[in-house]
Amino acid sequence: MARRERVVRMSVEQPLWRALTAYRVLTLLYAVLLAGFGREKYERPWVALAFLAFLALWTLVTLPRVANAANCTKRFLGLDLTVALTGILLTPLADFDAQHMDGPTLPSIWTAGSVLAFALKGGWRWAAFASTLVAVANIIERGEPSRDTFHNVVLVWVASIAIGYVVEVARASERTLARALEIEAATRERERLARDIHDSVLQVLAMVQRRGTALGGEAAELGRMAGEQEVALRTLVSSGLVPTTRVSEDSAEGAVVRAVDTDEAESAESDLRSLLAPHAGSRVTFAEPGAPVLLPGEAARELAAAVSAALDNVRAHAGPDAHAWILVEDEPDDVVVTVRDDGPGIPEGRLIQAEGEGRLGVALSIRGRLRDLGGTAELISVPGQGTEVELKVPKVSRGKAGSAR
Amino acid sequence: MSTPNTQASEERAIRVMVVDDHPMWRDAVARDLTESGFDVVATAGDGPGAVRRAHAAVPDVLVLDLNLPGMPGVQVCKELVGSQPGLRVLVLSASGEHADVLEAVKSGATGYLLKSASTQELTDAVRATAAGDPVFTPGLAGLVLGEYRRLASDPAPAAPDQPKVPQLTDRETEVLRLVAKGLSYKQIAERLVISHRTVQNHVQNTLGKLQLHNRVELVRYAIEAGLDDA
Repeated sequence: MARRERVVRMSVEQPLWRALTAYRVLTLLYAVLLAGFGREKYERPWVALAFLAFLALWTLVTLPRVANAANCTKRFLGLDLTVALTGILLTPLADFDAQHMDGPTLPSIWTAGSVLAFALKGGWRWAAFASTLVAVANIIERGEPSRDTFHNVVLVWVASIAIGYVVEVARASERTLARALEIEAATRERERLARDIHDSVLQVLAMVQRRGTALGGEAAELGRMAGEQEVALRTLVSSGLVPTTRVSEDSAEGAVVRAVDTDEAESAESDLRSLLAPHAGSRVTFAEPGAPVLLPGEAARELAAAVSAALDNVRAHAGPDAHAWILVEDEPDDVVVTVRDDGPGIPEGRLIQAEGEGRLGVALSIRGRLRDLGGTAELISVPGQGTEVELKVPKVSRGKAGSAR
Repeated sequence: MSTPNTQASEERAIRVMVVDDHPMWRDAVARDLTESGFDVVATAGDGPGAVRRAHAAVPDVLVLDLNLPGMPGVQVCKELVGSQPGLRVLVLSASGEHADVLEAVKSGATGYLLKSASTQELTDAVRATAAGDPVFTPGLAGLVLGEYRRLASDPAPAAPDQPKVPQLTDRETEVLRLVAKGLSYKQIAERLVISHRTVQNHVQNTLGKLQLHNRVELVRYAIEAGLDDA
């Protein structure tokens, strides 16, 4: 039943190790072919032959070493680099012209594989260290920092440092992702548990209310209190908890998430439901569309204040025992909030009369608030069916209100 | 037909089955219903048990909690409404989580009541459900209104063979809004100068269209997913 989400760990790094393995084999072939085609220039071909034979053996035997970061130990890296450096330094012994003419070294571009292994294992600092050694060895081999050698040295340097840096970034984002997935799974599990607990608590509260009312006396008072809490908790869980704004600290390590207070930014939209839901109680029923009803923050607060005023009006005119209903509707162009009570209502003539005498204080203040938002407030009263206040706010009210000013 | 129809149930006691995982609630509801003259034919405390026993007991009304171990209440509703056409489902939920409630109503429940409702409201609701009348709370009416608006605001179907999105008539919207504002069917009938029966029909239609749309969507999904080949 309890569906646990498995945290999927995807690796950005693994493909790089596979590429390195392929690179080492291919560059080995390249070095062998290069030496084969240029064999007549070697004064001591046996040196070249011996080194390349050893290089081939070394590369093939150590293939598992470059399969992943765990196998690629520091000792292996050190030996591998030593092989590359030895190859470079052996070149003048096989080819006497090497110190006076630009030409390929014995391991040629195989050396880069060794440096890249440093980059993958330890990031850009290790890569810089290894490529520096290779640079020094190359310059010793050539005897002077010739243009071609210098050019190659810089290339290896830049490439290895760049790749080392990319690997570091990839590792950091991988950690971030793993942590985010972990948090998400934990949150989901907590929400699932919370749902069960909430449901049980609601059951008990509803039961206390039910039995208390039946027993009467002091128990009825307890029942009433349980009922109030039941409504409050149900309103909270049924419409979903109000999302808090969260930010991630330290984006490099990532996913250290905390809730923050949002600025009262004018552009921020807020969910009208979360502002009105607290009104729900034993005497106030709250009906809403079941999805966020978004309005610009200021408009939402004004509308909520108008609803509070309307509810105060219900208490003042229909009595403390009157029941009130709040209905929120999210129409394509505007948001409509209706507050109805089951009081005696206002007879037709009285309403116009009272308005003429300026005695509809609260109603007028509601109307004023709504007018500022570019909306309307209508008072409808049907004898025997209470009074309704219908508040309508256009969704583009901010633009309209702005131009009206 | 072997399933008892609603006309027959006028003469004999209405057969009710209560499904709730809290024994305390299950017993209290069953006792209240028995005292009010209903025939509680079965109870169940988990989803699979509810489905099994409902097949054996063939109740008229299923009083169903949505939060059940073993199988969600919505699933129980789907399976039983699909296999027993005469069965009416009244959802009795503690939390009233919107997604669950809408899902239950779409999959065939015709009534919805919160557990905080009084005994009188519960027995009235079971009686109305058995008679085939929809039982709405203002909260459910608000949700259904919202659901229709969401369906209407979704982008128009791309393929011509896709089902048309259900829409409310002006009258249905009017009635549903009044329900959401807490008016009783009687008050709505008075205000709109129509009969009580007509009000109920309008409310029922709003549910019927959603349920039909839900079934059509399911079939379409099954065809798209290639399940019809099996």
